[in-house]
Amino acid sequence: MSTAPTSIRPGGNSKGLTLTDILVTIVISVVFGLIYKIWGPMYDVLKPFGTHAEQLSYGMWFMAGTFAFLIIRKPGVAILAEISAAAIEAFLGGSWGISTLWYGLFQGLGAELFFAMFLYRKAGPLVAILASIGSAVASIFIDRHYGYIDQLAFWNYALFISMRVLGSIIIAGLFAWALARALERTGVLNLLRPASAKDYDALEG
Amino acid sequence: MNLTFPHQETWLHRVNPAHKLIVSALLFLVVLLTHNPNVMITLTIAALLPLLFFSGHPPLRLLLYASPFLLLFVSSATGMMMFGTGETLWFQYGFIRITEESFYRGLHLGFRSLQVAAVGLTFALTTRPVALFYSLMQQLRLPPRYAYSFLAAFNMLPLLAEEFVTLRQALQIRGRRPRGIRGWYERLRMYAIPLLAQCIRRAHRTAAAMEAKRFSSGSGQRTYFYQYSLSAADAWYAIYILLSSLLAWQLGQLWSLIPVSDVR
Repeated sequence: MSTAPTSIRPGGNSKGLTLTDILVTIVISVVFGLIYKIWGPMYDVLKPFGTHAEQLSYGMWFMAGTFAFLIIRKPGVAILAEISAAAIEAFLGGSWGISTLWYGLFQGLGAELFFAMFLYRKAGPLVAILASIGSAVASIFIDRHYGYIDQLAFWNYALFISMRVLGSIIIAGLFAWALARALERTGVLNLLRPASAKDYDALEG
Repeated sequence: MNLTFPHQETWLHRVNPAHKLIVSALLFLVVLLTHNPNVMITLTIAALLPLLFFSGHPPLRLLLYASPFLLLFVSSATGMMMFGTGETLWFQYGFIRITEESFYRGLHLGFRSLQVAAVGLTFALTTRPVALFYSLMQQLRLPPRYAYSFLAAFNMLPLLAEEFVTLRQALQIRGRRPRGIRGWYERLRMYAIPLLAQCIRRAHRTAAAMEAKRFSSGSGQRTYFYQYSLSAADAWYAIYILLSSLLAWQLGQLWSLIPVSDVR
C-alpha cells in the first residue's frame, strides 16, 4: 500500500474529467432532473395569470449547471450537468419533452462561458451569479423564437425578463452557492479535490 | 419510465433510441421555424397520432399521463393572448388587452406546447433508458464513461429515496419542525445537505469500484451485452416524421382554419 495516494485518483491529471468527476456530476444531475420534472407542473399552474410570477421560479432550471461547477470546478462540468439534468427531465416525461435538451445545451453553455471567463479558478458568489445570468440570457434567446416573448406588450416583456433574471440570480446563483458552501463544510468535497502536498506530508508523519 | 408498468411492444419501441432522439430533437427545430398556426395544428395532430395508437400503453393510463396537456395548453396560450401586442382590439379590461393578433399567437403557442409535450411523452413511453444509453454508445460513439455513469446514477435513485425516508424519520423523532419562511429554508437545508453529501460519497465510491475493475482503462474495443442497430422501424419512423411535416406545411398553405398565416 505504499503507492496508495495515487490510486485514489487514477488517470490523475487534474485538467480533464475523471470517472469520479463525471459520475458525481451525473448523479447530481439526476437528482436535479427529478426536481426539474416536479418543478414543471408548479410553473404551469402559476403561469396563466400572465403576471410572470412564475418567472421567479424559472431559475431552478439553471441550478444543476452552476451547482455542479461549484462542486467539481472543472471545464465542461456546467454543460454536462445541465444537459444531463435536462435529459432526465425529458425521460420522466417532462412537459417540454425533447426540447429541454436544446434548452439544457444552451443554458449550460451560457453558464460555462462565465466560468471559462475566470479560467475556472473562481467559484465565489459573484461568478455563480454571473453564470446564472448567462443561463437566463441563453434561455431567453430560445424563448424569443419559441414563445415570441418579444411580442408581448412592452411592460409585460420587461417584467418577464427582469423576473427571470432576478429568479435565476436568487436560485441558480446565490442559493446554489450557499448550498455548495454548506456542502464544503461537511468535508465531503475533499473526496473530489486532488490530494495536496499537505496530505502527502500527513502520510509521511 | 415505462419500465415500471406493463405495456405492449409496438413498432415505436423497436425504433433505435438514438435515432428516435435525434429525429425528435430535429423536429423541435421544425416547430421553431413554423409561424403559421394552421401548419402548427396539423403538426400537433401528427405528433398526437403515434402517442394515441402506438405508445403500447392502455388508454386510461395514457389519459392519466396526458392529463397535464390541457393545463399546458392553457398556460402557454393565455399569457400571450392577454398581454401580447396587436392592432385589432377585441376586448379590454384594465391591463388585459386581447387583440386578434395576440389571440391567434396565443393559440399558436398552445399548439406548440401540445406538440412538444406529445413528442416528449411518446419518446418517454416507448424508450427504455438502458436501451437509449447502449444505443448512444454504439451508434453515436458516446464514451462509455458517460453512458455507464447515467446507468449507475439510475440505480442510486431507490437508495436515495430510502435515505430520504430515513432522514425524515430521524428528524421526526428529534421533533425538528421549524415553521415560517425561515423554517422552510431551514427544513430545505436539513434535507438537501445530507442527501447531496451522501450522493457525492456514493458516486465517489462507485467510481472507485469501477476503476478498481479497470473500467476506464479505455484501450481496445468494448463488448456489449445488448446490441442495437438500425432497422426497418427506423426508416418508417423517419419517413413518418418527414412526410407528416411536409404534409402539414402543404395543408397549412391550402386549407386555413385560422385566418392568419404568420403570427409574428
